[in-house]
Amino acid sequence: MKMMELLLELTVMPLLAFTVGLFMVLMMRKIAAKIQRRVGPPLLQPLYDIVKLYAKETQSSHGLLHDIGIVMAVGGYIAAETMLPVPGMNGIADKAGMLTLAYVTMIPSLGLALGVGQCANPNGSIGIARALTAMLAYDVPFVVIIFGASWLYGSNNLVEVIAAQQAGGIASWGVTQMPLLAIAGLFTLYAMLGKQPFEIYVAPAEIATGPMVEMGGKHLGGLFVMQCFQLFTASAIYVSLFLGGGENWLFFIAKLFAVVAIPMSMAFVFPRYRTEDVLAVVWRWPMLLGLIGVWLVMR
Amino acid sequence: MSTLQSIPVVAPPAEEPSGGGNLLANVFDELLAFCRSRSLFMLHYCTGCGAIELPPAMTSRFDMERLGIQPMVTPRQADILLVTGYVSTKTLKRIILTYEQMNSPKYVIGICSCTVNGGMYWQSYATAKKLSDYMPVDMYIAGCMPRPEAVISGLRELMENIRAGRSDNWRDYYQRYDHYLGNQQRLFGEHWQTPTDVIGEARHYGQFGPETLGEHTALLERHQTPLLPFEMRLGLGDVSKGGKS
Repeated sequence: MKMMELLLELTVMPLLAFTVGLFMVLMMRKIAAKIQRRVGPPLLQPLYDIVKLYAKETQSSHGLLHDIGIVMAVGGYIAAETMLPVPGMNGIADKAGMLTLAYVTMIPSLGLALGVGQCANPNGSIGIARALTAMLAYDVPFVVIIFGASWLYGSNNLVEVIAAQQAGGIASWGVTQMPLLAIAGLFTLYAMLGKQPFEIYVAPAEIATGPMVEMGGKHLGGLFVMQCFQLFTASAIYVSLFLGGGENWLFFIAKLFAVVAIPMSMAFVFPRYRTEDVLAVVWRWPMLLGLIGVWLVMR
Repeated sequence: MSTLQSIPVVAPPAEEPSGGGNLLANVFDELLAFCRSRSLFMLHYCTGCGAIELPPAMTSRFDMERLGIQPMVTPRQADILLVTGYVSTKTLKRIILTYEQMNSPKYVIGICSCTVNGGMYWQSYATAKKLSDYMPVDMYIAGCMPRPEAVISGLRELMENIRAGRSDNWRDYYQRYDHYLGNQQRLFGEHWQTPTDVIGEARHYGQFGPETLGEHTALLERHQTPLLPFEMRLGLGDVSKGGKS
């Protein structure tokens, strides 16, 4: 019975994450439209896009690794969803620590690198090199933030971190206990989502969407699904660390969307950094704030 | 080209797909057709002045995204190939390469008079007159240049055609490849070949028709050189003294 329940959770958690992610993509595009004084896409537009891409009748696969790369990209995030506690469901979150989660969220980029490598498109190679550089940029402050949060709550386990925050109300939330780390976390989340000005690896006008350049049909559909998961994962990690996780689904979803809305409302008025500037900015400001935050936490 | 009938302004409507009396028989196909019509990624091959009408159609003023139409940057991702203006012989080669790289179902829209009948370049020796001689065109939007309203109304008509299953011209390229290849060879010479193996794709995806093969594909097979990857070289080769070849 315990086993059946776990299996059910492992199935339902990614599905819920995907559904929430679809609406996050919609929100992102709506925010962009509102900033540019447009109407924007209709309610189910992200779903239409994905169904259409999967319904393509001819495919442009460049080989086995190209296909496996997409599976790794989506699969990495599906694995990450099972380690992220949502209200009522913990999945395998209590068995996997935050460091495991940080590792698992790197798999999609690596899988994408494998797949893009086989496309042999120079734009794709430049794009994936930039994507891995960006990952290097945001993962270092991310680990610092995880370290600070684990030190404060005395646990590397997301379930315990969330329980500790929910026991004391807003006063014990990460954002009030360690405000500097929360700011650094928001900055890192912004870089993690890869929107302007951190959009170095997509760069449509420069390297023709980088890693996605040879992706069409089901491959691009897989990447669209991955984007839904990515938005959910990044915001759920932030909510779990700093905003007390989810007491119930209503509050949880409100927090998730609020967290994604902050970087998105800023993103679409910016141009793009150069690759070395992303490293310089992300390793300077969130790192500095994060290290001071960790020092305050450990003092 | 001299008579009005030969100018392809209206495509002949295909017969409606029948459900065989069962209401649920085509539900899945209808859903896919609906999603296809509501999500169109557009690759614009801006060859001429018609391109200037596209930015207002896409941005704040007319906002194509509310119809689900987005610009995309590579042929692999795109559904619509938008050719906006005169097509010179040299450009046409690139357009055909681009078209063959796209994933089906794919749609071609010719914007401006130049793609319909050569327009003001009618007397030019280097301009292809009818785009639909070289690839199947799903929609022509005539005008010199058509305003964004006309572009959007054309796109809406294409959406309606896709939803009703009337816009299947991409199959025509596979099924009558000999015809299109013949026209391409007439313009580019008998050594013309593209990296895409259209005949092989037609076989693989079950789109093989009686007119896929013919005298022109036979000519292609005679002149075809196998596609090899570019040799990877470091340095500049013989042109520089210090470089290694």
